Amino acid sequence: MHKLKKILKSIKEVKKESITVDFFYNAAKERFKLTKLTEGNNGLERIIRDKHIHRPGLALAGYTGLFTYDRIQILGNTEMRYLRQLPASKRTQSLKKFFSFEIPCICLTFNNKPSEEFLELANKRNIPVFITPLETTKFAYFINDFLDDQFSAQIALHGSFVDVYGVGLFFHGRSGIGKSEIALDLVERGHRLVADDLVMVSKKADGILMGTGTDLVKHFMEIRGLGIIDVRSVFGIRAIRFQKRVEVIVNLEEWDSRRHYTRTGLDNETIEILGVELPFIRLPIFPGKNITVISEIIALNYLSKHYGFDPAKALSDKLDQAIKNKSKGKLQVGRSVDYLEHDFE
Amino acid sequence: MIEKKVRIINKAGMHTRPASQLVKIAAKYKADFYIIKDGFQINGKSIIGVMSLAAEEGSELTLKFDGPDEKSAASEIIKFFEEGFGEP
Repeated sequence: MHKLKKILKSIKEVKKESITVDFFYNAAKERFKLTKLTEGNNGLERIIRDKHIHRPGLALAGYTGLFTYDRIQILGNTEMRYLRQLPASKRTQSLKKFFSFEIPCICLTFNNKPSEEFLELANKRNIPVFITPLETTKFAYFINDFLDDQFSAQIALHGSFVDVYGVGLFFHGRSGIGKSEIALDLVERGHRLVADDLVMVSKKADGILMGTGTDLVKHFMEIRGLGIIDVRSVFGIRAIRFQKRVEVIVNLEEWDSRRHYTRTGLDNETIEILGVELPFIRLPIFPGKNITVISEIIALNYLSKHYGFDPAKALSDKLDQAIKNKSKGKLQVGRSVDYLEHDFE
Repeated sequence: MIEKKVRIINKAGMHTRPASQLVKIAAKYKADFYIIKDGFQINGKSIIGVMSLAAEEGSELTLKFDGPDEKSAASEIIKFFEEGFGEP
């Protein structure tokens, strides 16, 4: 088995078990235009464990069986209008029942202002209430995506991660094989470094992996014999980015004459990371081979395949066609130009 | 494979000097050397990796050694941790 695959098997993925409401609020307040309505820091220490949200229509109507109270509760127009039209005594009853649960926090959408009674109960029970001008479906989508990301599987992987022509190339290989030097060379040619040496990889939705650097190290890089350099301060903003989808894994390895490297590119190898299958390219290196240019070609070829043109398949199909024609006596090995005219172009 | 839990005992934590010393020691050996903190496993032979742990005094790390000379690698590196990197 390939070494990287062995490493991947031995690494346990990391998943957050919970986040605090405080963390959620600080991350969400500007992005999703949240304003806190409850007093002070009341209830901000509450814990969110579930990546789903809940709209508590039925719970407000009195049915609390299967009420997933431990999720973020989102009250939109329906819930608020329902509460408003209830007779006062019924409303009190409904709210009291609702607030008797240990709810992490409540978000009101469409700028639906809560009644005084609502806020009073929330303050008494230490349950934070937030309000946003966003509409419910949009807000629910944002929050779902945010929570999905917070609770996603993560691993730390060693390698250099570069955006080459918009394709996220992850270079792996034994330490000292020259990953950082290739990354530097690519940056020099106008591509953008995401992270060097240590890349935090997270699963984002099904089939998508995202990579970033670590908070501390960001775009620092070690070059053997030089020490630590900062790519951002040396090359400027054009040379970096903070996150990128991981699209191709390029494995740098010493040329091994016993190993079979792909010669056509038809036999695509893949590697599974956090349950996502990615193209896996074994790139043999030896002196005089320009890995940077080859990396650019890897990216461009990936794009070309993405847009529907697979060169290996195209040539293979042409060959099939030619053999078919030949059997009808039409084609022979020969020049691609029938008649060489005088301009010798 | 050898696995061992260690604690950072010096005041300054694993700052640049001990980090660079650690990767130098690890590089002498053939065995793979990994450090696990907060569930994330990093390569102990990479200076960027070790520094990004930002391991402070009191933090607990798991060390993993795997390879032909894992025993001698483990004993030298564990000793380095137990001595608080030679710092107070």
